[in-house]
Amino acid sequence: MTALAPIRLSSRLRANQGVLVVAALLVILLIFGAFISDRFRTTSNILNIFEQSTGLALVSLGQTLAILTGGIDLSVGSMISLLSTLTSGLIAGKASMVLPVAIGILLLGLLIGICNGLLIIWLRVHPLIVTLGMSAVLQGIVLLYSLGPAGSVPPGFNFLAYGKVLGLPIGAVFILVLFLLVALFLRYARLGRYIYAVGDDEVGARLMGLPRARVMLTVYGFSGFCCGLAAIYLTSRFSVGQPYTGLNYTLASITPVVVGGTLLSGGKGGVFGTLLGVYLISLLNNVLNFMDVSTHYQLIAQGLIVIAAVSVYVEKKKRV
Amino acid sequence: MVDVSQASGAEGPAISMKSRLSSYALPIFLIALIAISGIVSPAFLSTSNISNMLLQVAPLGIVVIGQAFVIILRGLDLSVSSVMATAAVIATGFSGQNSDVLSILLVAVGIGIATGLVNGWLVTKRSVSPFLATLATMIVLQGFRFAYTQGAPSGNVPPLFRQIGSATWHGVPYNMMLLVVLAVVFGVVLAKSRFGREVYITGGNPTTARLLGINADRVTIIGYVISGALAAIAGLVLSGYVGIVDNWVGRGFELDSIVAAVMGGISLSGGQGGILGGLFGAAILVVVFNAVLLFGLPVQLQIIIKGMVIVLAAAFYVRRRI
Repeated sequence: MTALAPIRLSSRLRANQGVLVVAALLVILLIFGAFISDRFRTTSNILNIFEQSTGLALVSLGQTLAILTGGIDLSVGSMISLLSTLTSGLIAGKASMVLPVAIGILLLGLLIGICNGLLIIWLRVHPLIVTLGMSAVLQGIVLLYSLGPAGSVPPGFNFLAYGKVLGLPIGAVFILVLFLLVALFLRYARLGRYIYAVGDDEVGARLMGLPRARVMLTVYGFSGFCCGLAAIYLTSRFSVGQPYTGLNYTLASITPVVVGGTLLSGGKGGVFGTLLGVYLISLLNNVLNFMDVSTHYQLIAQGLIVIAAVSVYVEKKKRV
Repeated sequence: MVDVSQASGAEGPAISMKSRLSSYALPIFLIALIAISGIVSPAFLSTSNISNMLLQVAPLGIVVIGQAFVIILRGLDLSVSSVMATAAVIATGFSGQNSDVLSILLVAVGIGIATGLVNGWLVTKRSVSPFLATLATMIVLQGFRFAYTQGAPSGNVPPLFRQIGSATWHGVPYNMMLLVVLAVVFGVVLAKSRFGREVYITGGNPTTARLLGINADRVTIIGYVISGALAAIAGLVLSGYVGIVDNWVGRGFELDSIVAAVMGGISLSGGQGGILGGLFGAAILVVVFNAVLLFGLPVQLQIIIKGMVIVLAAAFYVRRRI
């Protein structure tokens, strides 16, 4: 493990840089929001922000690992659309179907992700192309299954999205636990270190005999699994799935990752920055809503944030 | 320049063998596809269907020409669909008379060039990955378009665009003629001019390009500008084809154009391929889509085929390279 020590140190430094910048922006936005509206300061609004951020946090978590290996997962949007439509379509209002369908959806997400990983390994094509192709295939399949909202869910199903444990939204608590587990995995598990190693220097990792195939399968499988979680959560929130539910999540899932300081070239960054990135985006959208800014401009803001973030971090990399 | 000619001379045999292979394989594949489709469904070879397909090739082909420059330069341009839609929205933004054509063209191409400049600047000066840079400009442009149209564009396309986009002259669509002119011009630029050689060298190996004294950043930026400008022209042509403009004219063209280029032998790892191959890729794609509809298969199958083709085509060329 000594050979991995330098990577670990520099990656921690990099992650902290991103985390500090984003944390500062979060505080500024919170103060700004508190000034522009009294309703912003209410507990219900803060809980609302956490609720809104859960779906994004789930997808971005999987995306972070894919990007850490130097790849990317562009199939997340279509995957969420497919899995979410299938969730409500297969449950079809029956309470008895909830558990089997939920398990099936998570497994299907895992399976699609593993397919991505296998194609990347076998075909030796860049993940960008493989997942772009997968994205089109999945979008076609979900449209074959249904052209509009499909099925329904039993009334209690929205517990996942709106339920509370100890006064805290269930989704937000789940997110914190999941991110913590993945962070521990990345820092202490052997396979977690390999993810950084493969992303940092793919040739070097191969020469050292690191199991690239296992890393790819883990990363893309996990991303698919996260999409399954997000799909179930979103179906619970909107109480029905439709073939375009996930449309915006492909870009949206990349934004918090790059904002949180994970480099698209791989090997640097971490999930903690991504979580702050998710909260920053959700908070920004919330503040813009309070300022009565139309969603069109929110779109522009998101694009500009991506450009700003990647430019800033790249410059840092050059200077170091 | 001695070095440059030596470099291209050394690469000569490999490129020509590959291009010879793809220049035979692609037409044969296209003809076989047309023959099979014609046998399965005789309506496929009817005059109206053929002229319909020809009309559809042009907008895609024009985008593919620009995409070819960018991909040969190791990039990729996802913003083309957004540029197309913006150009189309602008086409209806005036009074809808032929007298507006010049101003529409200038504004639309101007936006295309500006988008290309931003893309190129981000990719070269800021080292942003082409995928993310063009995705971000796509989103920003989309936001501006939605804000400008307030969600629902209205107005008419000038009659001249209608004519170029959907009329034919003795069975040959006007937009096809435009495609041929653009393809010849940019094909000559890419294959014969000094700039074209610089594009191949920069895409093949940016470090080599710099050592040869080529301004790789400038070449790359010009590549993105060409792609943006051609996407704007394609958007205007497409607006003339569909007649009614909404915020999503050209949706899917970013993926289609990349699929066509990759299928035509333009390698995503840069430095390889040519415009003719990309145009064959575009023609094959249009024939496949048309066949799907004509055979009575569900239209969703088009998207699935597209997804599989891009992965398989990329895999095919990767394997051959190694």
